Amino acid sequence: MKIKKNYSKVKTIASGIIPFGFLVIMILYLIGPSSDLLEFGVSLPEITIEKIEFVDSEIHVTVRNTGPIPVKIAMADVNDRIQSAAIEPDKSLERFETALVRIPFSWNEAEPYTIGITLDDGVRFDKFIEAATPAIKSDYKLAGFFAIIGTYVGIIPVMIGLLWLPFIKRIGKNKYNFFLALTIGLLVFLGIDAMLEGFEVSKENFSTNFNGELLIITITLLSFLGLYYSAEKLTSRTNLTASSKPLAIGLMIAIGIGLHNLGEGLAIGAAIGLGQVALSTFLIVGFALHNTTEGIAIASPLAKTKSPISKIIILGLIAGSPAILGTWIGGFFYSPYTAIVFLSIGAGAIFQVALVILKWLYQSEQKLVQASIVSGIGVGMLIMYLTSILV
Amino acid sequence: MLSAIIGVSTIIVFSVFSEAQLEPKVFVTHSGQVIQTSGDVLDPLYTASTVEFDPGKYLRDFNYGRISELNGQTIREFTIIAEDDKIQEISPGVFYNVWTFNGTVPGPTIRATEGDLVRIHFINNGSKSHTMHFHGIHPAEMDGVFEAVGPGGGQFTYEFEAGPVGVHPYHCHVMPLEEHISHGLYGVYIVDPKEGRPSADEMVMVLNGFDTDFDTENNFYAANSIPFYYQHHPIQIKTNELIRIYVVNMVEFDPINNFHLHGNLYNYYPTGTSTVPSTYTDMITLSQTERGIMEFKYDYPGKYLFHAHKVEFSEKGWVGIFLVNDNPDQKSQTGIDYEN
Repeated sequence: MKIKKNYSKVKTIASGIIPFGFLVIMILYLIGPSSDLLEFGVSLPEITIEKIEFVDSEIHVTVRNTGPIPVKIAMADVNDRIQSAAIEPDKSLERFETALVRIPFSWNEAEPYTIGITLDDGVRFDKFIEAATPAIKSDYKLAGFFAIIGTYVGIIPVMIGLLWLPFIKRIGKNKYNFFLALTIGLLVFLGIDAMLEGFEVSKENFSTNFNGELLIITITLLSFLGLYYSAEKLTSRTNLTASSKPLAIGLMIAIGIGLHNLGEGLAIGAAIGLGQVALSTFLIVGFALHNTTEGIAIASPLAKTKSPISKIIILGLIAGSPAILGTWIGGFFYSPYTAIVFLSIGAGAIFQVALVILKWLYQSEQKLVQASIVSGIGVGMLIMYLTSILV
Repeated sequence: MLSAIIGVSTIIVFSVFSEAQLEPKVFVTHSGQVIQTSGDVLDPLYTASTVEFDPGKYLRDFNYGRISELNGQTIREFTIIAEDDKIQEISPGVFYNVWTFNGTVPGPTIRATEGDLVRIHFINNGSKSHTMHFHGIHPAEMDGVFEAVGPGGGQFTYEFEAGPVGVHPYHCHVMPLEEHISHGLYGVYIVDPKEGRPSADEMVMVLNGFDTDFDTENNFYAANSIPFYYQHHPIQIKTNELIRIYVVNMVEFDPINNFHLHGNLYNYYPTGTSTVPSTYTDMITLSQTERGIMEFKYDYPGKYLFHAHKVEFSEKGWVGIFLVNDNPDQKSQTGIDYEN
């Protein structure tokens, strides 16, 4: 009996592995050394200029091999005029490898520049910079400056938003539902916003080989599913009392918004880091106004419970302080890859929170098509749209 | 949890400030800048030993052909082979598929005296049809336009009387013409006057360019193919010696090119057809296949630049230096043997 059982287990495993074995054989056949079946077409080399920094009498260009074959960098130019340069660590780039090209050049502040890199086959890739601005120097002072900005953008507006809590506590059930629905609207907007931002980063900085759009959708869905699953486990396992469930939801919202603010911090840090100073002033003011609404989002589910003030402040910090971390990452080591990963995780987290609140509303009301809920979602998105114009 | 996040991120952020320095090497670049680097140097500087085509040799390399005589007329025979599969390093690290006459861009400089019979045995070893089209006076069937010479060993014999006196280009005339020319199928054809020209240090400069990324804009420019070559290998000349340059502009895509000489002016003979210079200047503008002869002498020794005053071209390689050496005994010269 036992042997028979084991035998069937082996059969199961074998039947699972055999197709996989055939797959391996097929791939070996296609790409193996003796195969000439796929020797058609031309593999075109491709590089992506990921970052350009203007430092003392030098222009620093970070390039990545984003093509299907190894490449050799042969030449650098500024405004399509050949320049001598150094390349570190060396001029041969394997797939996905990066190198730093240092071009000695006495550039002029605020002037536009096009930086070109030519490969050994004579193909030139270039990137346009609207205005040269001195690269920021990474030091403790700047880190402190970023921390202050992150506080203004993340923590303070969220805390201000939380000040609406007493107001929301006093209002009737319909109006309260309106505010919960408003939160859903705010969150859906934020989630879409984060994804669009990710698409933009991908379009500007990614080689098409990386399938940036699909990466964003995949990470967003994974983040959504992962958080949804763990949140369900969390709320079902622990015996939540009526009063602790809203707090759990508030915590989820705070984490979701925290991830979102990390993305905003990245945008601000990168804008300062890349020297787009005028842009970052707008970003800071816009995000500050925008993020006040996030405080409301956290406050709404907490309104009908007695939550200690300290816990509410912690929720505010969880939601707001990642903005500081974001400015550091964005300003000191901006890379489009981290930006996209964080933006997508944030989007997934936000959609998950929106769904949780929607479910919560449905459980208490049994009916979602109500004037207060529909108008709440609509108004929430509108508010976000209007404040986003400022960014 | 919050403090953990901030703590970890602080460590990540601040570790960047203490990045260890790699041991640097010092390079002086072709433009005289000093770079300290632990990596490689990207410098458009050719050394004579690595260059596949030697502009130093091409500069004064005139081909007079295999000479025979028939009924008092000198016959000059040349064999020219076209190929289109050669990959040449046209600037350090940059490889380009050049199409060549006798293996080089520009092709060999063909030189004859007015009235000579020029006979070119043309063999096309390329993978496409090619021809040789000479600027000058000749019968229609010798024009190299309608008689495409097939690939893989096709042959044709061009035969015509050398004339008129001057400096002319020759090039392939198969369609698409721009493609055949810009890949390198061109060269210089000089017709000397019977009475000869005054003795001089003579040189040929073909102003050309390469569009290595096929966007109908040149990526490199040069006098005689290799960018910046004569800047790093100055052309040695002497004071008080007559210098004669046969200049031919073969740049494609750009409507004009030009030639500016430093510290001096030159007598310019457009197309070289007249013995009277049209102008005395330091700056001549040339359109496609426009050409002429420049004559000048330097009074003072030293280094003198010559370059396109369309500075974009000079910053992409069309720049060189004359190194003028003192020559106290050189006063004048008489006669020159054009037969060799």
